[in-house]
Amino acid sequence: MDLRDFYSRLSVDESLAEVMGYNPYYQKIDSGLNARILVNGHEMIDLASNNYLGLAADNRVKQAAMEAIKKYGVSLCGTPIATGYIDLFQRLEKKLSHFVGLEETIILPSCYQANNGLFNCIAGPKDLIIVDRLVHSSLIEGIKSTGSKIRPFLHNNLEHLEGILQRSIGYRQVFVVTESVFSTEGSIAPFKEIVQLCEKYEAMPIIDDSHGIGVLGKSGRGILEEQRIAGYRGIYTASLGKAIANSGGMISGEKKLINYLKYYCSHLVYSTALTPAVLAGISEVLDIIHSEFSEIKEKLINKQRQIYKALLEGGFKVVSSEAPINSIQTGSKEATFILNRKLYEKGILSTPFIEPAVPINEGRVRLIASVSLSQDTVDEAVAIIKRIGHS
Amino acid sequence: MKMEDRIIMTIQSVLDKRPVITLDSHLLEDLRVDSLDKLMILSALEDEFAITISEDDFADVVTIKDIVMKLKGRGFFAGGTAPI
Repeated sequence: MDLRDFYSRLSVDESLAEVMGYNPYYQKIDSGLNARILVNGHEMIDLASNNYLGLAADNRVKQAAMEAIKKYGVSLCGTPIATGYIDLFQRLEKKLSHFVGLEETIILPSCYQANNGLFNCIAGPKDLIIVDRLVHSSLIEGIKSTGSKIRPFLHNNLEHLEGILQRSIGYRQVFVVTESVFSTEGSIAPFKEIVQLCEKYEAMPIIDDSHGIGVLGKSGRGILEEQRIAGYRGIYTASLGKAIANSGGMISGEKKLINYLKYYCSHLVYSTALTPAVLAGISEVLDIIHSEFSEIKEKLINKQRQIYKALLEGGFKVVSSEAPINSIQTGSKEATFILNRKLYEKGILSTPFIEPAVPINEGRVRLIASVSLSQDTVDEAVAIIKRIGHS
Repeated sequence: MKMEDRIIMTIQSVLDKRPVITLDSHLLEDLRVDSLDKLMILSALEDEFAITISEDDFADVVTIKDIVMKLKGRGFFAGGTAPI
């Protein structure tokens, strides 16, 4: 193999960034997620991170992480199946299971790994996986790895889903995969009805609750609590790096499933376990949610509504969201980059989504107003958004 | 209904936000079809015509006309009509 040929094939298409004179990716952050953040040395307003509840830099969470480091050190230098399964890990599995209301849980280094690792443990070429058109790429990649027949259904369209289920005959197993909150849109799946359809057609529901856990439900327990889904017998995954404000991913479900994954899910078995600091941080966040959720949620909704109102007043085309997400429809990738850059230049960090993260020409700029933002900061963001909209 | 019209109508049903579809429509340039859209199209065609389509067989289609030709070429519609 000619090494020059090899390396010449590894070219990144940076043409858009070059034309725009701006690259929104890998911005250097010089601070934690405080009321203001430092980006490339400049103080900015963070409307980009998924720190919904504002707990990523909470002193109680930091303290819990530090205490864990003092007791266990920074790592157990092993996978959960080997030396990584400390008492803290085991207690957190139980705590998370109790939190979402399911029998058992495994904790992986990320939800990306959870979603990638889950499917090839449970599905194969004789199976059918029906999936919402707009699910996250981690689910799509996991699904594609199985060799199963894949049939996407129109986003949140129960009629289309049922039509596919009706015609799903002759497969060994049928799975229906969706997300609770679609993070680029802020739309929420009609998951209760999806579970009912799964029961009717004997399919297994799988939900990724990454943007729902810690946000939805009257006590923050996520989609199952929000939609009052009792006795859920399907599979549940979620990120622990968004509202839960740490890192990692979880898969929850019935004991038989989780025990199987503990031995056969390569993404768990061969990955170094989450560190003690993170395990303790997650545990502390769950305690805070338990005692303060209604107060925190009220602040979250209040801030989201202020930003939403400003966007409407600024003349932006905003997706009407049921979740604490504000998503601006920007269309082309060029228009998406332009708006993202304008916000950046005026001191707001936002998240641009272009294909393949979203369908072609359905670009979005997403704004999430964390509870950690002060009212002064929100006021400033509102003023900036209106100014950009009217310019 | 002509087979071509049935194909267009079927594709339109899963591409609800796109422009008008004709035989000359390019999947990528005109309809902005990505890989998941393509899977949805193939699934919808499978249901409409009660056939099984392999994703690999349709990897090289560029236009709607190409899809029609592929289906005809595979003998799904001998004589230009759908199987009963």
